[in-house]
Amino acid sequence: MTPPLLVLERLKKVYTRGALVKRPTFTLEADLEFPESRIVGVLGPNGAGKTTLFEMITGSNAPTEGRVLVAGADIHRVKYKERDRLAIHYHQSYQVRSFSKRVPSALLARSPTPKPILHLFDEPQFNTQDGYIGFMLDFFRKLRAEGKLVFVCLHPTARYHLEILKEIGESFLLVHGGKAVPKASFSELVVDERARGYLGPDMTATAEALA
Amino acid sequence: MAVLEACDIHVRFGDRVVLEEISFAVEPGEMHGIMGPNGAGKTTFFNVLTGRVKPSRGEVRIEGEDVTGLPSHRIAARGIARSFQIMTLFDEFTALENVEVALPEFRARGFDGRRAAVGDRGFESAARAVLAEVGLAEKAGIVAKDLPYGDRRALEIAVALAQRPRVLCLDEPTSGLGSDGRARLAILIARLKGRLSIVTIEHDMEFLFGLADRISVVHWGQVIARGTPAELRQNAWVQRSNLGRLQ
Repeated sequence: MTPPLLVLERLKKVYTRGALVKRPTFTLEADLEFPESRIVGVLGPNGAGKTTLFEMITGSNAPTEGRVLVAGADIHRVKYKERDRLAIHYHQSYQVRSFSKRVPSALLARSPTPKPILHLFDEPQFNTQDGYIGFMLDFFRKLRAEGKLVFVCLHPTARYHLEILKEIGESFLLVHGGKAVPKASFSELVVDERARGYLGPDMTATAEALA
Repeated sequence: MAVLEACDIHVRFGDRVVLEEISFAVEPGEMHGIMGPNGAGKTTFFNVLTGRVKPSRGEVRIEGEDVTGLPSHRIAARGIARSFQIMTLFDEFTALENVEVALPEFRARGFDGRRAAVGDRGFESAARAVLAEVGLAEKAGIVAKDLPYGDRRALEIAVALAQRPRVLCLDEPTSGLGSDGRARLAILIARLKGRLSIVTIEHDMEFLFGLADRISVVHWGQVIARGTPAELRQNAWVQRSNLGRLQ
């Protein structure tokens, strides 16, 4: 039996403050499974942990608890240089963060696959003027057709952002209040109170019209 | 057979994925356009094609022969010439001299003091022929720094052509040019195309869609779309954009 493309197994990230008494300032939890290839739209307010989630999935940011299994392999136990053969995090240059690498690479496993299975797009810049959107969306579809799992994180501030999510998203992930909550469809996303609060009245009305 | 080919190119700068699995082939006489947003990896890809950056994986071939990792002058000697986004001319030399020093026969001879002393201009006619091709025949004697911008761009192409390349790689040839300069450059490229292969990185979509036989759209270090201008225009989102409104 082929393992699921991605399993987030009781995944938890806690950032703390304070030297003696550690107070958590940020918590993110996810316990999810993505058995096969699809395009997942990811939404959530700034600071909710979308990028942290992507970093944990692609293996650059170690979780406090839990595991990330990509095609059955724990990505945090794969050699640093080979993690991008399992998952790629496409981010804006200002988002790139470096993390310490505590375990020597020699003690880590080889990547079981030569080509990345997971493609995570972190707030790609969409511009309706230049026409690139069409090529980008086709590229997401091409990856999906090749059996890859694609995450596209978007922060909807204009109608076309919602159109893009509606057009390509087969399911959704709402990162909100310290949790990553799965949503089976665009219409299910739109009725969620947390999603509505995050989108605001105008974008909610637009999303309802599209759903 | 493709004149120039890149197979499965990967480039990493540290942990950063710069190019991921790019494949590409230029046919003889083809004009192949490369477009993409800033930071997409277009120039790095050019640097791989011309031997300035060695890929971490993948192969570059010229007429089927593997040239991956060869230094750029060896790749140039095999017929791949390039121009840069930033101009690279000898400012104190005349247009003619700029072209002369780029001729392979001049380079092969090296410096010969005796011939220089008697003012030997053995390569002048070859250099003048190249200048005529780019429309600079009348300006052969002008020092490069005194040429207007559009002429400097044309001179850069002449310097690349002097190497008698099979493939001419141009990195944003229209940058800094006004509409007259662009029109002139378009005529020049249309004339050259067919005789040699041309690969052009270009932001000016109108320019590219008017001239290219095929276009590769590069983003995230990958080719996300490829086709003829007509094929690329089919896309519904492209039709909504400025690109869709072009003739």
